[in-house]
Amino acid sequence: MDTTPDITRLSTDLGGQPAPSPINLGEREMLPWEKRCHALLDILALHKIVNTEEKRRGISELGAGLISGTSYYEKWILSAARILMQKRILTPAEIAEKTSTVAERFLEK
Amino acid sequence: MEHHHEHVHSHSVTIENPSYFEILEISVRELLVEKGLISADEHRRQIEVLDSRSPALGAKVVAHAWANADYKKRLLKNGSAACEELGITMYDNTKLIVAENTPETHNVIVCTLCSCYPRPILGLPPDWYKSKSYRARIVKDPRQVLSEFGLNVSSQRRIRVHDSNANMRYLVLPIRPNGTEGWDENALAKIVTRDTMIGVAEPKGQK
Repeated sequence: MDTTPDITRLSTDLGGQPAPSPINLGEREMLPWEKRCHALLDILALHKIVNTEEKRRGISELGAGLISGTSYYEKWILSAARILMQKRILTPAEIAEKTSTVAERFLEK
Repeated sequence: MEHHHEHVHSHSVTIENPSYFEILEISVRELLVEKGLISADEHRRQIEVLDSRSPALGAKVVAHAWANADYKKRLLKNGSAACEELGITMYDNTKLIVAENTPETHNVIVCTLCSCYPRPILGLPPDWYKSKSYRARIVKDPRQVLSEFGLNVSSQRRIRVHDSNANMRYLVLPIRPNGTEGWDENALAKIVTRDTMIGVAEPKGQK
């Protein structure tokens, strides 16, 4: 099994790779949560907490499975959470507790 | 990491079904606000900033460059500074490079690694710009890919593909079409669409 491609090429390095054609020219509106996600990453970049390069690295660290299996903004928020945890700004326990609390809010309505 | 969708209905109203990712976004944001690292206000303001951005800003830059030869020179020399002149700020130390289309060369922009895009002047990138298909194929077979957009670039012309990154964003300066002589900048800006500034279309000179 030749693992050279896995080592020499990042999953996000797509230039020149085989890909479907023709291009799908359809466009859709951002969902509200996606807009909130985009704004969040912009603010994190502004405060130099998570910059563009770090966000991109976080995405490439998700691995090919998640990269192809999640949508554009789903990758952004996964990456942000990763980087924030790597920097010890947030802990996995905090995130687990908060997501549980937030999920319950939707149930309470 | 798995995600699940929760379906909850009350008697009289259907409640949205937040995905795990939506819950994660809310959670991360609220934790950061609680820790005093960001504020809810600035987040709300940033959403307004996102809503305010559109290709109209880029079109204004292009129209001004078409109308004013000195501005065009400055724009080609230092895109970021020239945008600042019109009140448009690039952010995060990003540099804007303007690539001029000529009879010899057609320019087109991509970000093969992610989706870097000159958002302050073009707004948000279209889904296709972020797609694997565009990112993988435009650098390898640009003529074919452009034809899928309905743009057939003559084989006499060279196509130059610019790969953006976190610090360098690009704007294509299209060729001013024939038949636009004497138009004011507002009229010129109207024919400069987002796709002409990415390089997958050319502006049309009909009023």
